[in-house]
Amino acid sequence: MSDKLVLDNISKVFGDGDTSVKVLDRVSLQVKAGEFVAVVGPSGSGKSTFLSIAGALLSPTSGRIFLDNKEINKIPEQKMNRIRLEKIGFVFQSANLIPYLTVQDQLLLIPKLAGKRNKNAEKRADDLLKRLGLDHRRSHYPESLSGGERQRVAIARAWMNDPEIILADEPTASLDSERGRAVVQMLADEVKLRDKAAIMVTHDKRMLDLCDRVVYIEDGQLSEQPVNETKTS
Amino acid sequence: MFLALREFKHAKLRYLLVALIMILIAWLVLFVSGLAKGLSSDNASSIQNMNTDYLVLQKQADNRLNRSVISNDTLKDVRTFVSDKKSTPLGVQMTTLTKDGSAKKVDVTFFAINTNGMLAPDVAEGKMINNTTTNEVVADSSLKDNGFHLGDIVKDQASGKIFKIIGFTKEQSFSHAPVIHMNFKEWDAIHKANARGGEFFNAVALKANQDKADQIDNSVSGVDVITKSDALKGIPGYKEEQGSLIMMIAFLFVIAAVVLAVFFYVITIQKMNQFGVLKAIGAKTGYLAKNIVSQVLLLTIASLIISIALTYGVAFILPSSMPFDLSPQLVLGCSGLFLVVSVIGSLLSLYRVAKIDAIEAIGRAV
Repeated sequence: MSDKLVLDNISKVFGDGDTSVKVLDRVSLQVKAGEFVAVVGPSGSGKSTFLSIAGALLSPTSGRIFLDNKEINKIPEQKMNRIRLEKIGFVFQSANLIPYLTVQDQLLLIPKLAGKRNKNAEKRADDLLKRLGLDHRRSHYPESLSGGERQRVAIARAWMNDPEIILADEPTASLDSERGRAVVQMLADEVKLRDKAAIMVTHDKRMLDLCDRVVYIEDGQLSEQPVNETKTS
Repeated sequence: MFLALREFKHAKLRYLLVALIMILIAWLVLFVSGLAKGLSSDNASSIQNMNTDYLVLQKQADNRLNRSVISNDTLKDVRTFVSDKKSTPLGVQMTTLTKDGSAKKVDVTFFAINTNGMLAPDVAEGKMINNTTTNEVVADSSLKDNGFHLGDIVKDQASGKIFKIIGFTKEQSFSHAPVIHMNFKEWDAIHKANARGGEFFNAVALKANQDKADQIDNSVSGVDVITKSDALKGIPGYKEEQGSLIMMIAFLFVIAAVVLAVFFYVITIQKMNQFGVLKAIGAKTGYLAKNIVSQVLLLTIASLIISIALTYGVAFILPSSMPFDLSPQLVLGCSGLFLVVSVIGSLLSLYRVAKIDAIEAIGRAV
C-alpha cells in the first residue's frame, strides 16, 4: 500500500522572538491509501493548525509534506489553491455550504473552479448524490436541509474532485450522535471504496471506533496509540 | 458568472434594492444631462449650429457678442488674411417684438447676415430672404408657439420698423430668445436712427485654422479671435446655467460610486466566511474577484437599460416647451462613465476579498 500523505518532522511556530509560540513540534504522520485516521486532542492542542498544514492552507515552519508522493511544502502559496483544488477534499465544521447554491450546484462548483466543465462532472455529481442518499434533495438550498443532510452534501462536495485525501474538521460538531455517526460512517465507507485516505480532527470519542487509527495530539506533539480494531463493513 | 447569477437568483430582494437605487441615480443623471443639453441648445443653438470656426470680436467686449462693435475698416483688415468667402460679418441685437394687431410682446434676437454667405440658416418652412429685401425676415420656428405664422407682420419695438415673416428656421436661438435673421440692408435701417450711425456689426465669423486665427489675433488691432465655445460662454447666463447642472451631474456620479461601494462592501463583509470556504476548496482570488465585478457590471447594465427607458419615457410625455435634448451619444457617454464609476466602487470589496485567508474556514463553527 502506498502512502497518500506523509508529514515528516513538521514544526509550526507563530510569531517570532520572545513572543513566539510553538504550536506543532516535530510532528510526523503517515497515512496510507484506504486508511481513515482520527486526530484527537483538547482545544488549543494544535489540531486546527495540524489540519491546515496537512490541507495546504498553511506552510510549516520546518519539515516536509508529501501528498501523493509529491513534496508540496516547497510550492509557493499562490499555487497552493491548485493543490487544494485537485488533491484535497475538505469537510468543514457545520458543513459550510454556499447558501445560494442548490445541492447539485454545490457539487458542480468544484469542476467549475478547476475549469473542467463537462458531462463527466454532471454524471459524477449524480452518482455521488445517489450514493449519499441526496438524490431527492438535488434542487434544494442548504437552508432547507437538515444538519445531517448538509454534512452529507459537504462530503459529496469533498469527493467531487476525486481527491487523494479528505480532511475533515470536526464534521460531527453540529450533529447529534446518531446522525454524526452516520456521517462518519459514510466518510469511512467512501475511503474504503475509493482506496483514498482521510484524516478527521474530532473530540467526539464516540466516533473513534469507525476509524482505522487514532492519533492523539497534545501541546503540539503527536502520539500514536493503537485503537481497538472494530471495523465496519 | 456561475456564482454571480445563482446568487442574484437566491437573494433577489437584496440585489433588487441595490438595482433600484442604481436605477434612480442613473435616471437622475440621464435626466439632468438631457436637461443641461436641452437648456444649452435652447439658450444658444444659433451659436452651436453656426457654420464657423472662430469669431472676431472687439477686444474690450469680454468675449460677449452683444458688447462687441466691429467697423467696416476692421472687417477689411481681417479680410487681408482670409478670403471674403471665409469671413462674413454678423450683427446681433436683442430686442422686443410685437405682432401687428396684438399687444403681446416677445423677446427675440436679431441676427444680421449676408444671405449668400456661410451664416445663412436653412429654412424649414416658407422662403429664404435675400440681400435686397427691405422688410422680410426668417424667424425661428419656436415663435410659432407664440402664435406667429408665415406672412405675419411684426414690429421692432426699439426702432418701430416693420417686417414680414416669410420663412421659419429650426433650432436658432440666442440667450433663450428665438433668432430672427435679416439682411444688412434691414439691419442698417434699424440702426439709422441710432446715435452711432454708419455701418457697424458685432462680430466677424471666420472659417480658418488655428494658425490663421492666431495671426489675425496678433496682427489686427483692437480685436480678439475666439472659438465658438468661448463665444458660448460669453452668452449672458450660459456659463452659470451649465455650470450648476454639470456640478449636479458630477455629484450624482460620485454618489453612485459611493452607494455602490458601500452596498457591495457590506454584502462582501457578510460573505467573508463563504469566501474563506471557497478559497479553501481551491477558488483563486481572481475567480472571486471576477464574480464580484460581473455582479456589479450586470447590476449596473440592467439598471442603466431600465433608467434609459424611463428617461426616454418621461421625455416623451414632457411638454415640447421644456428644453430636453438627450442624444444617443450623450446616453452612451453617461452610461460608459457610469460603468467605470461602478467598477471603481467595487474596488473596496475586491481588496477585502483579496485579503481573505483560506485558513479562516478551518476551526470555525459558523
